[in-house]
Amino acid sequence: MFRDLLRLWKYVRKYKGRLTSGIVLFLFARCCEVSIPMFLGVGIDRLATGQGDLLYPICGIFAAAVLRFFIVTSARIAVRRASFLVQRDLRNVFYQHLQRMGPHFFAKFAVGDLMTRAIADIQLVRRLIGNGTTMVVIFVYATLFGFGCMFYLSPQLLLVVLPPLPVVLIYAWRTSSRLGIASRRVQEKLADLGSHVQENLTGIRTIQAMAQEENEQRRFAKHSQAYSDKFFDHARIHSLMQAIMPSLAAVSIVGILGYGGHLVLTEQLTVGAFAVYFFYVNMIVQPFRVAGMIISLIQRGAVASQRLHQVLDYAPEIKDSPIDEVPEIIRGEIKIQDLTYAYPHSAQPSLLDINLTIARGESIAIMGRIGCGKTTLLKQLVRLLDTPAGAVYFDGYDVRDYPLQQLRTQVAFVPQDTFLFAEPMRSNITYDQPRRSIDQVWQAADAASLSETVEAMERKMETIVGERGVTLSGGQKQRTTVARGVIRHAPVLVLDDCFASVDTETEDYILQSLRKLRVDQTTILVSHRVSTAKHADRILIMDQGRIVEVGTHEELIRLNGRYADLERMQREGADFDYLSYQRSVGTFK
Amino acid sequence: MSIQTKSNRDYSAFEADLSGAILNTRLLIRLLKWMRPYWFTLTVSFVLVCVSSFFAIVLLLISSILVIDHILQREVNVIVPDFGLINLTEGLAHSTGFSQLFVACVLYAVAQLVWAVAVHYHRVTLTHAVVNGLRDLRRDLFQHLETRPASFYDNVAVGRVMTRVTNDIEALYELLRGLGSLIGEFLPFCFALVVMLRINLEMSLVLLVYLPLLAVITVIFRRYTRRLFRLVRQSVSALNQNLQENLNGLQVVQISGREDFNYRRYQRINANNLGFETRSMRHETIYTSFNENIASMAIGVILWFAGGKVLQEVITLGGLILFTRFIDMLFHPIVVLGEQINILFRAMASGERIFQALDWDESLHEPENPVTLPERLKGQIEFRNLEFAYREEPVLKGVSLTIQPGENLAIVGTTGSGKSTLIRLLNRFYDVPDGCIFLDGIDINDIRSKDLRQRIGVVLQDFHIFSGSIHDNITLGDSSLTRATVIAASQYVNADQFIEALPDGYDTQLSERGQNLSQGQRQLLAFARVLAANPEILVLDEATANIDTESELLIQDAMEVLTTTRTSIIIAHRLQTIQNSDRVLVLDHGRIAELGTHDELLQAKGIYHTLHNFQFRQDSIDSDSR
Repeated sequence: MFRDLLRLWKYVRKYKGRLTSGIVLFLFARCCEVSIPMFLGVGIDRLATGQGDLLYPICGIFAAAVLRFFIVTSARIAVRRASFLVQRDLRNVFYQHLQRMGPHFFAKFAVGDLMTRAIADIQLVRRLIGNGTTMVVIFVYATLFGFGCMFYLSPQLLLVVLPPLPVVLIYAWRTSSRLGIASRRVQEKLADLGSHVQENLTGIRTIQAMAQEENEQRRFAKHSQAYSDKFFDHARIHSLMQAIMPSLAAVSIVGILGYGGHLVLTEQLTVGAFAVYFFYVNMIVQPFRVAGMIISLIQRGAVASQRLHQVLDYAPEIKDSPIDEVPEIIRGEIKIQDLTYAYPHSAQPSLLDINLTIARGESIAIMGRIGCGKTTLLKQLVRLLDTPAGAVYFDGYDVRDYPLQQLRTQVAFVPQDTFLFAEPMRSNITYDQPRRSIDQVWQAADAASLSETVEAMERKMETIVGERGVTLSGGQKQRTTVARGVIRHAPVLVLDDCFASVDTETEDYILQSLRKLRVDQTTILVSHRVSTAKHADRILIMDQGRIVEVGTHEELIRLNGRYADLERMQREGADFDYLSYQRSVGTFK
Repeated sequence: MSIQTKSNRDYSAFEADLSGAILNTRLLIRLLKWMRPYWFTLTVSFVLVCVSSFFAIVLLLISSILVIDHILQREVNVIVPDFGLINLTEGLAHSTGFSQLFVACVLYAVAQLVWAVAVHYHRVTLTHAVVNGLRDLRRDLFQHLETRPASFYDNVAVGRVMTRVTNDIEALYELLRGLGSLIGEFLPFCFALVVMLRINLEMSLVLLVYLPLLAVITVIFRRYTRRLFRLVRQSVSALNQNLQENLNGLQVVQISGREDFNYRRYQRINANNLGFETRSMRHETIYTSFNENIASMAIGVILWFAGGKVLQEVITLGGLILFTRFIDMLFHPIVVLGEQINILFRAMASGERIFQALDWDESLHEPENPVTLPERLKGQIEFRNLEFAYREEPVLKGVSLTIQPGENLAIVGTTGSGKSTLIRLLNRFYDVPDGCIFLDGIDINDIRSKDLRQRIGVVLQDFHIFSGSIHDNITLGDSSLTRATVIAASQYVNADQFIEALPDGYDTQLSERGQNLSQGQRQLLAFARVLAANPEILVLDEATANIDTESELLIQDAMEVLTTTRTSIIIAHRLQTIQNSDRVLVLDHGRIAELGTHDELLQAKGIYHTLHNFQFRQDSIDSDSR
């Protein structure tokens, strides 16, 4: 736990000046604070003995109050400001770090989880630094000064005040950990409830189509009840603590009443001292009550720090270590040499001995079953996976020698899953370089057969799409991502099964415009359709991580292998005797 | 026509409809409806808070008036209301023989105990009522949302609806508990006021002058910071949105080389947020410190004004001390009120959003006298001059068609031709006029939508996988379906192979959106789900898109199984998959363009012929050359 806390020092160090000044100022503020009851005690004593001169204590109280106001305000602002600065820095570091992460990282950490870390955990660290520091300082000063003043007023009376206090402290300590657990349970149940609602509403069509509403309501009621129960548990523990703490402290007060009263009666203590003793007991008990909170703040801060560092310690999978010799512009000649790749934690390689040379300007189509390694192969080209050294070369240089930025800019990869940002259509298409002219955007949209769709929108290219905007169909989304790739006029364009939701006619149009636009530029595309693949200069058939067939459409048909089978299947459709085919090739995966 | 206007309602602007009032009495009254079943608990809670507030005052009276004045100062003319404490102490001391001081200590301990018990059970009962009331509200809200028609979900973002069930209800907890805690603060305040006025009017006024001052400062401060708080909240949510979107689209960010650009943008938003946070924090700090300052100054003021009166014996020393102890009780409620106001304000907005959601009355017209469907339908479907528009533009323009029991109909057409709409209407995802769609001769408007949907099995384009086991996903909670049925259904649709290969077979837990299954596998699972439900009519919407050829063949095989025994309607892009259909319907811009068997349509040389040739042009050339 201490190690986790210490690791935060790196971020706090920059602002230690503010923190230290805050801590020192709190000390002065506390001096003012303890003097007020002292002055009051003097005043009471003067009244009790029938003296009329109250000017000195009254002025003392006013002066102390005003002074304290200025000191404590600056102290609090100094500490809190430091905590906000740390929060800002942590957020920036976290964001920057996440941007460098690769697929394995995201397989390990879900986006929702990372969001929680970025929001809640960073906030916990801020609270630890802001509130935690303040509370610890107040606790220490209040205890020291409170006991000091009580000792000064009457050392004997302090003896009856002391015994219950350790009990208060121990109780606060123990209950706060129970409270922490209870509050975590509440959060867990709330998260369960939230994800159930989200899942439910996302799938509402299926639920309604299957007439599952009542079932879902029952499931919801179960989650809702579980949450309510935990909520109630937490409230009960908290309330009990709020009732017991002052009652334990009241033991001290009864002690003061009895023994202190006795001392007054026997004239060993003045009435004024007796009356203000209560103020000092309160001064100590108040922070004692939050002792539990301090501990839980520290604990939670430590856990938050640990959770943040789990992410921050994760080294980027893809290291950017370019060499100077590589050309500034990739021309588009690709050589893949003995490429074997296995995903971490996977015994079986996903790519096995891939050897392939692609000439500049060539178009390649890759076909194969799901899971045969097509996407894995394509990702190696832009190092979305950690491409092994000496396996993939662009223009004779290892991909690992290119600056990552250059590689990914000049090799345009269009992924299978379509993601649109909640931004205008224009920014979504020209995502890599926001400052392109609108004509270029329209040109790309046209090539991707998207311009009609955009024309039909009310605000044309300025229409906000994505999560918080106009909903596009699967095909429209795919065409947008294709446009996003086309606009880059990259020497190498890689399309990973981008036409699955696009009808054949549109697909044909897009392919034709690509052929027109991409003269002397290399294009690689994955497809399941023979009608798409056949136009490529060469077709690759992959199976279980290997390239099993390479050649032109005619060559592969003549070969009468997998490709010819696929062609036949797609041509004959339902008439194709799949089951006997399956027996001859192997089982479906 | 009213249906049309409702589906045109713009739900994206619904935030604008909120009134934003701090105290919305209509809303509170409405909220009371859900609290009503728990009125007894609430009453008990209120009685308990009265008891605890009373004893909080008694505790102070014991330590000041009883002990200091009566016992220590031996003051005889105590004019302070002591609720009989002095007589009680004297009586007890007399009868037991203990000293009065000892008796006072015992009384203090007892009062403390009563206070603790009362205050604890007050909070427990209050929470109990609130938790249960809001649980009921949440249940009702969920039920309401769950039964909104598809047209509603076309127009809203799920995330925004979802927060009403979670965050907004959460905020209501705050609201109700806040109101509860205000009562807990103001009751002692009132008791203290009564005691003070009885002690000395002039002195009370000196202290009470502070209250309006404090109230005014609080109001000004809160009004000023509310704007700031809103800016803080907005900047935080901008920050989070930016991060979330960046994470969701990180692959695109990376392959576009946009990391630095995005980072700079995030830094800007972050710096913005820091500015607002700091400003808001400064105000808050100054305000808090100022309050504390006023409380400290009040001690001096009391000493100043009361000093002379003590000497003149108008008030006692204990009375003076009591005044200093009342300061907190008087000022604290106002500070708490100030703190609560923002919470109340936010909670009111949440409450409004919840009731707004409950008022979304968009619903399907359910028949008043629903027809009881026979045990097994024949499965004849008739569309009679069906016209439909989502908004202004008609999507279906007079579609008339009869599908015979057991027939397999394939629907073909380009995007936007109305294919999906046709089957959505059949499923009553949207309202249609009477006399347009008939099932076995019954107008579907006379059938309860729930009954209707049980008879029509749908595999939608975006089939949804629920988190839970494979088994649960096939049965969808229908406990009458046994494991044997589930396995049989899976075997029928070729899903058995891949399910058995999973680590826990049918008990394998699926993650949200079924990410651990491939597209083809999810498709087969959806088939198994439909087959297990065994509906009379089957509808498949573009079910074969995005799947590799071999999986598609498995699916086709499964589809044959599914479609032979029941009426079925299939929409697909791949012409091959529908060659087995009895008839093919070609839709074009909302009209029936062609209808007939595959061969008939080919011979007719129309749209179908063109579509078919387009896909097969190259293939036929190749096979000729072979």
